[in-house]
Amino acid sequence: MKHVELLAPAGDMEKLKMAYLYGADAVYCAGKRFGLRANANNFTMEELEMAAEFAHQRKKKLYVTVNILFHEKEVNGLEDYLKELDRIGIDAIIASDILVMKRAKELNLKLEVHVSTQASILNSEAALFYKSLGATRLVLAREASLEDIKDIKEKTNLELECFIHGAMCTSFSGRCIMSNYCTLRDANRGGCAQICRWTFQAGSNPEIFSMTPKDLNLIEYIKELINIGVNSFKVEGRMRGIYYIATVIQVYRKIIDKIEENNLSSGEIKYYLDILNRCANRDSTPQFVNGLPTEKEQYFLGRQELSNQDFLGLVLDYDEKTHIATLEHRNYFKKGDIVEFFGPNLEATTYQVGEIYDEEGNSLELSNHPKMIIKLKVDVKLQKYDMMRIKVFDKKDYL
Amino acid sequence: MMDRHFLVAVTSDEVLKLKVKNVNFLFPIEDFSVGFTNTYTLEDIKIPNSYLYINRILDTKGIEALKKLVEEIKENVKGICFTDLGVLNVVKESHKNLELIYMQSHNTTNVSSINYYLEYVDSVYISTDLTKEEMLNILENAYKPLVVPYFTLMDTMYSRRTLLKNYQNHFDLEEKREEDLIELGTKKRFLAIENDYGTVFYAKKFIDYREIEHPNILYSFINPMHLSLEEIEKIMKNETIDVDKDTGFLHQETYYRLKEEER
Repeated sequence: MKHVELLAPAGDMEKLKMAYLYGADAVYCAGKRFGLRANANNFTMEELEMAAEFAHQRKKKLYVTVNILFHEKEVNGLEDYLKELDRIGIDAIIASDILVMKRAKELNLKLEVHVSTQASILNSEAALFYKSLGATRLVLAREASLEDIKDIKEKTNLELECFIHGAMCTSFSGRCIMSNYCTLRDANRGGCAQICRWTFQAGSNPEIFSMTPKDLNLIEYIKELINIGVNSFKVEGRMRGIYYIATVIQVYRKIIDKIEENNLSSGEIKYYLDILNRCANRDSTPQFVNGLPTEKEQYFLGRQELSNQDFLGLVLDYDEKTHIATLEHRNYFKKGDIVEFFGPNLEATTYQVGEIYDEEGNSLELSNHPKMIIKLKVDVKLQKYDMMRIKVFDKKDYL
Repeated sequence: MMDRHFLVAVTSDEVLKLKVKNVNFLFPIEDFSVGFTNTYTLEDIKIPNSYLYINRILDTKGIEALKKLVEEIKENVKGICFTDLGVLNVVKESHKNLELIYMQSHNTTNVSSINYYLEYVDSVYISTDLTKEEMLNILENAYKPLVVPYFTLMDTMYSRRTLLKNYQNHFDLEEKREEDLIELGTKKRFLAIENDYGTVFYAKKFIDYREIEHPNILYSFINPMHLSLEEIEKIMKNETIDVDKDTGFLHQETYYRLKEEER
């Protein structure tokens, strides 16, 4: 079975490192210009260069989104920007404007051009058009069915990248200017105000509703997609935090590896699905892959998006002699709580919180100050970048 | 005032009674169009120099069906206005002599991109969300004549979801495939039209871009949804009409970087 790439989002350097450490084969991010998350932190050119070095040292890849639709005043800086990305060793750009694809080819750059999901590709003839422009990979529209994916693969033999997890647009991505119309914020240059998630009223009906789609989750289709020949599985979420990135990437890393080893059980799928849904704090469904989404794949009313409080602390250091772990606090916990640690090299491991100490060694009953440095005695060997979270699910209950 | 040639979407049979010179009709085609309550088959189209409007994003079944449709196109069809770039290969392989107009409303936002698209097609429709200055610059520098929005409903979203049906099912309401909506925060109004291939949200106000004049205009586009024949004729004569309209983005620029307080 050919190894399939797991592709993670990163909004800044910390998230990027977490993504690689927790199992991503490649990461996509944006520079300070020309990306569709104009209001994320994003990366300076120097940071991109460091990120590329970090990736390549680990034999991993880095892709940069250059996926806005250009207005005239942005066009001038494009060539220099592409040359710089090429010089620092970015593996590929993700583009949606034909201008970017053509310019990259004319400049004879080493980097590959991947066509963004913004291009809404659902059929092989459209795919062949982009192939003729020099694209080596297509990020298919999230509306693609299994039949569409299979047909495009068979007829084009292009590398295919499919979103497997994360938030969805209500619209075909890139085919929406609701934000432009309602707020003047240009959705196709990175300013989307997500109007489709705001509240509407229709005709004379009193009901107030939104059109918010539930998240995408293709956990149950990974094997089928691998068999079709999908080359890269993409997770959405450049604005998400490190806990989300680490959790989601680790879950899919394990699933892909287990499928490749042919030992993934249905119980494990259920366990991982529960972890994913809790982590995102919203429901997820397969959306378009097996048919048209109905009203059950949307949120209409009264849904509160509470922030997830599961992430308790990030391990900064572990002393193997004393078994003292140094953590940066993230959410409230207290002595006696049943929690678990997980990490790049650590299966979820249950732990009952014992003595808690602050940085000066004072004993605490609880930990509740964001970013506070605390120390715990933990017998299981931890490593920097491991995480502590509330224990909700126990894998053995699913097996 | 410049001498214009109009491309008018056939939103109802009434539109076909237009007695104005310099009009080409654009027929939304059954199973290949979204955002129209009225669609047509090839057999329905009798008027010479008509265009087919294929504005669906086509999936595998759709592109295969298109191949059959293109084979059946007769001489009275002058060309195809399309959104999905897969249409290009299909028409090329059919060896039919059809004019092709790329008509994706949102991604033709600069001269270079438009000139690249013009390597493959006969004309391109300029995006609606541009300022007057941007549009005139594009018209000045494009190397073939272009299609411009003239007085038209502006599509603001195209979803593959059946959003109206889903909403009606959720609230147990009677099924309607056309609905007026209001976004409650901004009070912006929309007209949503749906078929089995998806839902299109139009801004409820027409955009009145009649002030865009340039010799490099091939067609001035009108989607006259729900307008009367008299109103359409007045629009074409550049006369005042009493419908809800504004100048869209012509005099207000969009932005994308937020101020700190907006984040």
